[in-house]
Amino acid sequence: MSTTQTEYLQDVADADYEHGWTTDIEADTADPGLTEDTVRMISAKKEEPEWLLEWRLKAFRYFKKIMEDSSQYPEWAHLKYVQPNLQEISYYSAPKRKARYDSLDEVDDELLETFERLGIPLQEQKQLAGVAVDAVMDSVSVATTFKEELKEAGVIFCSISEAARDYPELVRKYMGSVIPYTDNYFASLNSCVFSDGSFVYVPKGVRCPMELSTYFRINEQNTGQFERTLIIAEDDAYVSYLEGCTAPQRDESQLHAAVVELVAHDNAEIKYSTIQNWYPGSKEGEGGIYNFVTKRGLCKGDDSKISWTQLETGSSITWKYPSVILKGDRSVGEFYSVAFTKGHQQADTGTKMTHIGDDTKSTIISKGISGGRSNNSYRGLVRVNKNAKNARNFSQCDSMLLGDRCGAHTFPYIEIDNPTAQVEHEATTSKVGDDQLFYCHQRGLNEEEAIKMIVNGFCKEILAKLPMEFAVEARELLAIELEGSVG
Amino acid sequence: MPQTLEKIETTPEERFLTAFHAADGTTLNGSNSRLHTLRKEAIERFEALGFPQRKAEAYKYTNIQQVLKRNYTLQLAPRETSVTADDIAPFLVPDLDAHVLVLVNGRFNEALSSIGELPDGAIVTGFADAARTHPDLVDAHFGQYADHENDAFIALNTAFTQDGAFVYVPKSTVLDKPVHIVSVVSAEDDLMLQPRYLFIAEENAQATIIQTGRAITDTHTFTNAVVESYAGRNAHLDHYEIQDEGPKSAIHLSTQGYQHEQSVVRTNAFTFSGEIVRNNLCMLPDGAHCESHLYGLVLGRGDMHVDNHTVVDHAAPDCYSSELYKHLVDDDATAVFNGRVLVRQDSQRINAYQSNDSLLLSEDADIYSKPELEIYADDVECSHGATTGTLDKEAIFYLQSRGLSYAEARALLLVAFARDVLDHVKVEPLEALLDTYVTARFGPQA
Repeated sequence: MSTTQTEYLQDVADADYEHGWTTDIEADTADPGLTEDTVRMISAKKEEPEWLLEWRLKAFRYFKKIMEDSSQYPEWAHLKYVQPNLQEISYYSAPKRKARYDSLDEVDDELLETFERLGIPLQEQKQLAGVAVDAVMDSVSVATTFKEELKEAGVIFCSISEAARDYPELVRKYMGSVIPYTDNYFASLNSCVFSDGSFVYVPKGVRCPMELSTYFRINEQNTGQFERTLIIAEDDAYVSYLEGCTAPQRDESQLHAAVVELVAHDNAEIKYSTIQNWYPGSKEGEGGIYNFVTKRGLCKGDDSKISWTQLETGSSITWKYPSVILKGDRSVGEFYSVAFTKGHQQADTGTKMTHIGDDTKSTIISKGISGGRSNNSYRGLVRVNKNAKNARNFSQCDSMLLGDRCGAHTFPYIEIDNPTAQVEHEATTSKVGDDQLFYCHQRGLNEEEAIKMIVNGFCKEILAKLPMEFAVEARELLAIELEGSVG
Repeated sequence: MPQTLEKIETTPEERFLTAFHAADGTTLNGSNSRLHTLRKEAIERFEALGFPQRKAEAYKYTNIQQVLKRNYTLQLAPRETSVTADDIAPFLVPDLDAHVLVLVNGRFNEALSSIGELPDGAIVTGFADAARTHPDLVDAHFGQYADHENDAFIALNTAFTQDGAFVYVPKSTVLDKPVHIVSVVSAEDDLMLQPRYLFIAEENAQATIIQTGRAITDTHTFTNAVVESYAGRNAHLDHYEIQDEGPKSAIHLSTQGYQHEQSVVRTNAFTFSGEIVRNNLCMLPDGAHCESHLYGLVLGRGDMHVDNHTVVDHAAPDCYSSELYKHLVDDDATAVFNGRVLVRQDSQRINAYQSNDSLLLSEDADIYSKPELEIYADDVECSHGATTGTLDKEAIFYLQSRGLSYAEARALLLVAFARDVLDHVKVEPLEALLDTYVTARFGPQA
């Protein structure tokens, strides 16, 4: 490796976080600690109906048991970190001025500025056709646009606490149906203390007229954010949902344990895209977000389809496996992922495809890029149940290494109980080829341009799956991540 | 009362510990002092570790406890055996000129063996005999590669090591003929066997070792075997393991291979029968320019459960490793594959390839495959592939269109699938024997 390339990659690995700053807004923050009172307090603050409080308490009673039993903590991932102390976290934080806003005009100027600095086109959204934004700053939904237009189509798009009040029968029916509160440690935790999140309901035969989008920000110091998202697509419905994140620089690690549940009925399609660019910690590996997320989609009806696309560049620790349960016949599950780690970041991410119905199909394409002293692991499960006839899976996991002190790992689990299944898995690990670099040099590109181009090409397949607006942002983000301080 | 009885029922671990303490210093003593010290260490580690529980990730798909809980007898003292040369004859490889070493119930049987003439300095003998006659060689290698600190099965074997086989090939010596180790089980009761194998090929040496296991009697057996192999600089070591002990045998085989620079090691594992077969195969290429080849073929039928765990631990740069494991799984059988390729930091310029292909031939057959890559160096080319499915309908159709019956077409494809592994068998008579076996199993008449 030439010196220039080494230097360049060093710079990339050392690059500082671009979105690191804090917005100064007075906030209503709960005292740290997790007790039954905390759960009751959150529920009361959110003016939740009785049944939801009961649900939270049931989850809490369960979680209390596993919280005290250290063997229940998920330690199997290829990650090294200090287990977060749940008693030191504050479980509720809301901007103080006002709990809810009716229109954008009422929103704090400072808050709006925050979004603008992040490049969230909240104001321009109104003019930009096609995107409705439900911006979540810490825990309370701040503003929702395009509500009217969605209402006309019959689509419900609101915060989950609003939905619990206004559409209790829907929330009650589906919440916890894909990810029960007993699912895993972090899903249990989320079930007791979830603060807010989005709720989407697309009725039968409706094609959602625009891309739905939520930007999450973790802002208040020491508050873990526990969103809960629930998306339901009825028969023949279609919805595309975008989630994007950036968070300001912090010294203390922040825990983020979200739960996302998707339900697709007959012939429905849900497309869920994520760009995650939270604070990855300092150069020395201090601080950064702990991103422990449970995401799962249920292809409940026949011919349904759920597709996860993600670009993961942030967080100090990522523990995330967006999964699909292919229950309906001929249902389709997809997972497209680019995970970029540098500095001291660690990512253990992948997917689970569970084939239950007949003639189901799943595709997994995962690209991992690691630099600096980071570790990037793909962990995925393809399971074909005994009665799942003619299941088809294709998995491809490619890893690229941008330095000699980082790690790239692949842990695919393949469990096949039916002989009609056809399952293929392939994985490769390599560095940026010297011959590729040489070719680029020969065409007049310098090291940095060449590496950017090669990495971009490596990920192109995935980025192309993102919706238009996101694809552009994603390419930019990846370029910035690689750019670092190279002049 | 039955309830009290259940409570005082001992665990498999306790049974071994009791047996060890009862026999320690007497039957387990032996003349080798290093062995004696290691034994003590190992039993302490075993007591601390215990057998892997169902929840252990490495035993996730294999319930080894299920076969361990049987009340096996431990034959700590050698017994008279009624096994004759006629009993052994069918287990020899036809037309193979080899140094034949026979183990009966894990013990070297000199009368049945025909080791023949060896090059100067080469040794082919029982493990107990080697520990007595060549303590320097045994001490230098025994327990050096297999990890009795962290693996309960290796610890247990080390604690109870008595006999097995020992092969030593001195510097710049080539064993022209392969060494064929025939293990025969003949027992009246359910039996636990713990043979130990040590194979040493010094610098520039070459050797081929074939191990076959067969049972004459119909009792349940559990074989907890440990193989340690050492390949010196530029040594070539080929190892073939043919596991076909019958439906009542359970096998836990731990193989640890150590490679010096420029050495070439090939391992071939064939599993044709067994109740539960678990193979832990770990290669450690510890010098530059090593080659490691791992091949495996599993033909599963009945209730067989075969679990192959392999690790290639690239501790040194500029090495090459390739791995090919194939499963043909029929009836209620289960095949598990876990292949791990580890490239340590600064082990640059590693090329590592791994492939695992499985064919499911019945509704009730199961496959669990987990090919793993764990890479800490950047200038590497590593890849793995895994496929699972049933025979390609189009391939069958093509053959049918050429005039073959469905049965013939299927047989042709299955045999061809298995031959990808058989092709790597370098000992011709052995390849012919295995080919006959596979053809008989899947051929049109089968």
